[in-house]
Amino acid sequence: MGIEDAYITARGVSVTYRRQRDGSELPALAGVDLDVARGEFVAIVGPSGCGKTTFLNVVAGLVPASSGSVRVDGVEVTAPGPDRAMVFQDYALMPWRTVEANVRFGLEFQRHGLSRDEIDARIREAIELVSLTGFERAFPYELSGGMRQRVGIARALVGRPRVLLADEPLGAVDAMTREAMQGDLERIVAATGLTTILITHSIDEAIALADRLVIVSHRPGQVREIIDVPLPRPRFDYDIKAHPEYAPLREHVWDLLKGEALGAKEVEA
Amino acid sequence: MSGRLRLPDSRWARIALSVVNVVVFLTIWEIVAKEEVINPLFFPAPSDTWDALREGFADGTLTDALLWSLRCFAIGMVAAAVVGIPVGLLMGSSPAAYTLLSPYVWAMASLPRVAITPLLVLIFGFSQMAELVLIFLSALFPIVINCMAGPKTVDPSLLRAGRVFGASRLALYAKVVFPFTLPFIVSGLNQGLTRGLVGMVIAEIFGGNDGLGYVIQRAGETFEAPTLYAALFLLVAISLSLVQLLRWLEVRVAPWRNQSARA
Ligand SMILES: Nc1ncnc2c1ncn2[C@@H]1O[C@H](COP(=O)(O)OP(=O)(O)OP(=O)(O)O)[C@@H](O)[C@H]1O
Ligand SMILES: [Mg+2]
Repeated sequence: MGIEDAYITARGVSVTYRRQRDGSELPALAGVDLDVARGEFVAIVGPSGCGKTTFLNVVAGLVPASSGSVRVDGVEVTAPGPDRAMVFQDYALMPWRTVEANVRFGLEFQRHGLSRDEIDARIREAIELVSLTGFERAFPYELSGGMRQRVGIARALVGRPRVLLADEPLGAVDAMTREAMQGDLERIVAATGLTTILITHSIDEAIALADRLVIVSHRPGQVREIIDVPLPRPRFDYDIKAHPEYAPLREHVWDLLKGEALGAKEVEA
Repeated sequence: MSGRLRLPDSRWARIALSVVNVVVFLTIWEIVAKEEVINPLFFPAPSDTWDALREGFADGTLTDALLWSLRCFAIGMVAAAVVGIPVGLLMGSSPAAYTLLSPYVWAMASLPRVAITPLLVLIFGFSQMAELVLIFLSALFPIVINCMAGPKTVDPSLLRAGRVFGASRLALYAKVVFPFTLPFIVSGLNQGLTRGLVGMVIAEIFGGNDGLGYVIQRAGETFEAPTLYAALFLLVAISLSLVQLLRWLEVRVAPWRNQSARA
């Protein structure tokens, strides 16, 4: 909280859902405060159902905060905007579109004033950035999970957003591909200077990628603790697990999450 | 030897096999019919059926019946599609429209079409209108029900992606909901076609004075089995080509569905 020159500021963000079936209320977030600096990479971890996706949706402008607000570059978020792009756990690619056309989707609804050639160049560039050159004409069903998510990342990047919101982007990718893609993600984020919020269930992934970890409490979600990750970058150039800071950090996060998971059980009971 | 029937791999070999299959079948039929193992009154030989078909086209009776049926079917189907697709999409997209219309749609869809034939004859007499309305009603409800399922089942995360990348409500409909729904529309048309065909035959058998159904009914009453079989053959031909057409369209419209089903 309270970092200077924050690019994203969340203040007292609460979201209460009203269930359609019986009209009962479900508090998902209860006063989340978070500052993210320009170009920073923040990972959010927390027990299942604690409101992580909800928070990301608020930042994206998809879900309105019941109280509190989110500002991006000083402007209050009220709707989605081209400054923020999202990557989805289930990829959310249009199955009827080729790789190229799916990436184009990221630009299609924006008033960017680009010429056709410029658009094509942007698409080519985004596809190249995720190493999918040569697969432009393939359909998502012809690609592996990892490749599909590369398309999802290219679609997010093609509009040159300032903020990347990633909701468990590698959650459905197999373990081998996952590590390789973590490396790609670090490289891409470094190359583009994106401010990134990543949600993940993997502590290792969070430590490998993030500058800071945000531990969220069980539902209704609140920020339990924010932890700096002191490991030097680029992290995929060396074995971070062998770094002396790694094991104690991991253990600390694990303890916190275990506590929250147990707390969640008590709430349910 | 596994004892399992294995189909040959080459395309031409498979076509050749089908031809042999049909030829053998027709030959056996021909022999059985000519030997009058079964009463020829309702079991004519393929050669007699073929003659009836040729004569019918030569003197124009079958040509007229075929054209009449096809024309009525086309008009009824187009009307059903023009009404059914928008209504189905609307019901799938708007809970209010669904609540308002669904009781009638489900009631009509579950009503056996034969049951309303006397009513239609009562209203329209033995006219072409009765036939058109029956085709229309037969095809309409499968189309509505299938089209309705499209917008209702559209993947919410695709909608989320659409909104994140700035699609307006209209753009969301045009670029996400509609393409997602297209295969549902095609299966609706597919079911509508088969049902519409049934409606057409029922109308022509029970009410009309024209069309293939009428030929079938007349041939039955006058013991002209070959003509009856010729008309049946034409119905099969129509039905099969329409189904094939729609299947081709289904693959074109949604290659990912067939692919994932095969994988
Ligand atoms: N549209 C909605 N309407 C009602 N309740 C919702 C809605 N979306 C989420 N919820 C509920 O709000 C709570 C938080 O959901 P959310 O998806 O934000 O959690 P999460 O931390 O992302 O969980 P997970 O780790 O399982 O993805 C959950 O209990 C969920 O059931
Ligand atoms: Mg989630």
